Amino acid sequence: MTETIAVLFIFFILILFGIIFYAKYQQVAFKDKQEELLAARAMDSTLKTLFLPELICSKGEAEPEDNCFDLMKLKYANETFGKHMDDYYFNIFSYARISITETYPNSDNKWVIYDKEKVKEDGNGTLVPNWDRREPTYFIVTIRDENNEQGQPEYRLGYLTVEAYS
Amino acid sequence: MAFKKNKTKKGQIQVTFNWFYVLIAGGVILLFFFGIVMKQQKVSEENLAYDVVRIMESIFTGAGVSEKTKNFIDTSGLVDYTLYFNCDESVSEFGIRDKGSPAQNVVDPIFSPREIKTTQLILWSLPYKLPFKVIDLMFVTSWNTKYFVLGNNAFAEEFLNSTTGLNVIPIPDLNSVDPQKNFQIRIIDLTGSVQEGLPVPDKTTLMDDDKVTAISFIGTHSAQYFQKEGNSWRKAGDKIAIISLGGERDAAKYAAIFSQDSNIYQCNMMKVFKRFNFLLEIYEQKLKEIELYYVESPEKTLTKDCLGYIQAGQYEPNLQQALTLLKGNAKACSILFDHCADLIEASAKLKEANTNLGSKGDCLTLY
Repeated sequence: MTETIAVLFIFFILILFGIIFYAKYQQVAFKDKQEELLAARAMDSTLKTLFLPELICSKGEAEPEDNCFDLMKLKYANETFGKHMDDYYFNIFSYARISITETYPNSDNKWVIYDKEKVKEDGNGTLVPNWDRREPTYFIVTIRDENNEQGQPEYRLGYLTVEAYS
Repeated sequence: MAFKKNKTKKGQIQVTFNWFYVLIAGGVILLFFFGIVMKQQKVSEENLAYDVVRIMESIFTGAGVSEKTKNFIDTSGLVDYTLYFNCDESVSEFGIRDKGSPAQNVVDPIFSPREIKTTQLILWSLPYKLPFKVIDLMFVTSWNTKYFVLGNNAFAEEFLNSTTGLNVIPIPDLNSVDPQKNFQIRIIDLTGSVQEGLPVPDKTTLMDDDKVTAISFIGTHSAQYFQKEGNSWRKAGDKIAIISLGGERDAAKYAAIFSQDSNIYQCNMMKVFKRFNFLLEIYEQKLKEIELYYVESPEKTLTKDCLGYIQAGQYEPNLQQALTLLKGNAKACSILFDHCADLIEASAKLKEANTNLGSKGDCLTLY
């Protein structure tokens, strides 16, 4: 009888070890998957932003210019994105912050076109950030400025930053 | 001796009991692992459905931005599963039939058959312009979805040339339709030969009704879907309006060809018009800035009449009038698809005004 109990005890200990090991593995795998999904979402959002009709440089019926944002559209895009964030643009970008920073000739110009942070209410009713990770992705772009003294399109250099919140 | 006998009997009972106990315990353990295997099988099927949907979403994103490029996706691992696509109230759904939860999409317009069972998925996108680019229309089909082009006009030639790599062939008449071993067929009728009540091609009579469909183009801006019912054609939904400015690679017309029926077409086009309204808001602001630019710098308009093409009153059409008209029509269109036909004329005016601004006035253009 004692032998049987001992065997059973060891058997259940082994089962317990197995369960603990499997749970730990699942936890790690889940975290890895989340990170992978976050990175994929950041890349997808960058790709979508680069080809947004709301921002791209077009010229009549010609093909739009690659990796180029029209400054006149850029200035007003955040207004439209903000107005329709919950009912439309959230479905494109989810929780993210998208900005375009000019680096040349002026390095102090920055346009935040979309900003939706994951937040929660704390005990006092104040909204506090509710995300663990932020995955930033960068992409070099040109910014076309047609509204200038020369009366000719002027191209500036900048970069697009897409920060996806987990 | 008697004592010895008793001892042996007791020993025998003990041994029998152990074997019985081991049998039950073994059975329970076996059941336990069998349960785990069954559960795991169900979980992996759910995971497969989830992975497929997620990968499809990613592929759609990539294909959506690589416009005009056809993407051939190997789906031989999914040959036993049926992919399904649907759209209802401006929400698209796609996934594996009867497995897992489908993905929902309220942004990207996806035009496709309702069901696809294939080893190779084909994705293609074309930019939709009205007159400026609104969004990329995504077409989803497969190598075993066969398209028959009936008619011999400029559009037929253009369609055949632009769909290289797809399963598309021209046919001289309806009786030449041979579905072979394709999963489904679509007849693109440019002659008006497909009509309600008329018999379906002989070789299609044994196919499932929903796998034999046709689209018949009426004029340049409308079309009617048909579906096989028994041995004859029946109308599938109402006549649809094709909202486009025409020209080569007319995305709206191509979208109609790749859509299963009028519901999927209209549902996805409503997504397009929703986005169109948002774009108009940005273009309205841009127009104000262009106008201000010329008002504040009159020296820039000494040799050219930019403001005449921008402001209302001098030239017809002009950007302000055309954009206001388009905005009004777009608002009506976002409520009811039947109102969308008015967008064609308004966007043609905007296109003309913008072209005039660029070519005659040599000024900044709206798009």
